Amino acid sequence: MTKLSRRNTIGLGLAGAAVASTRLKAQTPAEVKIAMLVPLSGPWARQGILEQMGARLAIEDVNAAGGIKSMGGAKLKLVEYDAQDSAEKAKDAAQRMIAQEPELVGGFGCWLSSFTLAATEVTERAGLPWLTLSYSDLITSRGFKHVFQSSPTADRQAEEELPMIMELALKASGKKPTKVAFVGDNTASSVSFMKAMRDHVVQQQGLTVVADEVFTPPLTDATTMVQHVRSGRPDFVVFQSTNVPDDKLLADKFAEFNMRSDRLPKIGGGGHWAVPELLKNAGAENLEGIMVGLANWPGKNQADLEKRFMAKTGEPWFGHDSIFAYVHVMILKEALERTGVADRRKVSDAIHALDMTDGPALFFPDGRLKYDEAGRRVGAKLCVVQWRGGKPVPVYPPSIATHEVLWPKA
Amino acid sequence: MDLEVLIENVLNALAAGITIGCIYGLMCIGLGLIFGIMRIVNFAQGEFLMLGMFSSLYLVTGGGILAFLGPYIGPFVGALLAGPIVFAGGALVHKLLIARVSGLRTTGSLDEGHFGQLVVTLGISLILQNGGLILFGSTPQTVRTPLASSAIEVGPIYGDATVFLNKARLIACAIAIIVAVALYLLLEYTRMGKALRAAADNPTAATYMGIDTDKTYRFAFALGSGITAVAGGLMAVYLSFGPFVGLDYVIIMYSGVVLGGMGSILGAFWGGLTVGFVQQCSALVLPPQLQNAAIFVVFLMIVLLRPQGLFGRSAERA
Repeated sequence: MTKLSRRNTIGLGLAGAAVASTRLKAQTPAEVKIAMLVPLSGPWARQGILEQMGARLAIEDVNAAGGIKSMGGAKLKLVEYDAQDSAEKAKDAAQRMIAQEPELVGGFGCWLSSFTLAATEVTERAGLPWLTLSYSDLITSRGFKHVFQSSPTADRQAEEELPMIMELALKASGKKPTKVAFVGDNTASSVSFMKAMRDHVVQQQGLTVVADEVFTPPLTDATTMVQHVRSGRPDFVVFQSTNVPDDKLLADKFAEFNMRSDRLPKIGGGGHWAVPELLKNAGAENLEGIMVGLANWPGKNQADLEKRFMAKTGEPWFGHDSIFAYVHVMILKEALERTGVADRRKVSDAIHALDMTDGPALFFPDGRLKYDEAGRRVGAKLCVVQWRGGKPVPVYPPSIATHEVLWPKA
Repeated sequence: MDLEVLIENVLNALAAGITIGCIYGLMCIGLGLIFGIMRIVNFAQGEFLMLGMFSSLYLVTGGGILAFLGPYIGPFVGALLAGPIVFAGGALVHKLLIARVSGLRTTGSLDEGHFGQLVVTLGISLILQNGGLILFGSTPQTVRTPLASSAIEVGPIYGDATVFLNKARLIACAIAIIVAVALYLLLEYTRMGKALRAAADNPTAATYMGIDTDKTYRFAFALGSGITAVAGGLMAVYLSFGPFVGLDYVIIMYSGVVLGGMGSILGAFWGGLTVGFVQQCSALVLPPQLQNAAIFVVFLMIVLLRPQGLFGRSAERA
């Protein structure tokens, strides 16, 4: 029998301790890293910052409540990457993120669909589960296994918006609208949204399109477009602009032509129609009554969370971008609770297996959290907020509504 | 389309074209002045427009020194005062950077300093854009006035046809015309104006006549920057803007200057007016998304038929 020398004994002992320590560490890491990749500089920085605020609050809430319990109270850590101002830079940032943070178990971003399309090419190859609020249907049409789209896709939004508006109009005014005007830009998301509208949705609703104005952003003036809308005498207008400066010009110009929302109802689309800077730019009086179709908005059930968010950030309300970031952190936390290990593949499988009507599901207007095979959230529905007294308030669906919709009687 | 609607559409497009065109005209004068006198293609001109917008914003809003003037007068006074602020900045930029690649220093050199000027002005443009992003942030801003969303209604003229004259743009248009006329008087009837024209025509001869051409060029560059900044201040009253707004207007500026006649100063005003007019009136017959394409179709036609620019004599130098 070979005798162990003192040196070998000590060496074996240390090695054993190291192995045991590593195993213990793998089972209950002190912290679990998730990533946020959003524009934090460049023209879309404001939207990224709104997401950042929501995500940081969620991380605080998770850690204050004891972290990931199934992992021995491991703390959740958010690593933040800047997608900057182009799809190429977003992809570069995603590559950097994957290389620098091998321990990542999941992430979310990148707000703009074109950024998300580019970045998810990288995250998918790395097998990193990726949640997004972006609208483009292309994001979940590529057969990817680890991309989860929480919003209704752009084409589904188009199919949902008009019937919903018709229902609101009928309920509020007792009269079904018959004429609609479209004003939108020619960017990718607007084009796919409007295509479905023009192809079949207006016919299904028995509507006549009296003006269909398409512009190239940025708008330098909206006079001729608004004049065309005025000439068509529509019952309501659907906006598909994609940035705050164009929204401001449209709101101002309709007010100038005596077509504020008390005379001509208007429906904008996208989170940028309900941000504080639009209020600052266009003014409460010009925005009053404008409705906005969105993929998510905090409802009456999130009143406490909204108060905490406002107190912490100084923002005047808790909106579309922030609640999405908050809920995405909560979904990753839920998946980690179920897997109990910091393994990105297992986290991805856990997200696929989620089917909840409580917990993070309550942060969606339809109250359900389940993703289909393609990664699209099952039953994702649009919601509507309406500008009232300088604040967007939820008016649809009833699960989140705090106010009745205002629609002019005549 | 019935006659009533047609009349209303045409009259509103004409009104918008003229008011916007005058503001574009002032914006183009700044660039025309720099090119006409110094022969510098200034790629940073859009950023001077942006600086004019932000100068006006900080003068008028929040704790700005003009806040006491209120939302009706303050924004227009702010736009005028943005001129001297950016004038000073323009003079500094010329002294530190532009003077090294222009004027007598480059006379007789192979490229007359043009390559250096391109690189320097492009560099200034990038620095101002990204510096603006750091300083001002990316949130869209505007100099709010209730006048931006209210109109003087003329009519009904025929049936229900009514013309809407936007109050903010009407005032901005009047200020643009006054500034353009003042500049014309300065160039035609003052000693500095004569020095500017002499330095433009023949800098060497002007030096022999006792004109300090370097100082004259500095004044021209600063004046060109300041005038574009006034136009920026006027546009800030009805537009939202950010640090990259200059990129959206620099093409319009160049179109206006070339249309009016390269090298002409007042021709640039007419060029800018034409651009605004074409932009608005083209939407009567073309989809709005082709508004900017229409500008370039007209631009190419004029360059093809009148290479010296639209307004004959305006092809002469200042």
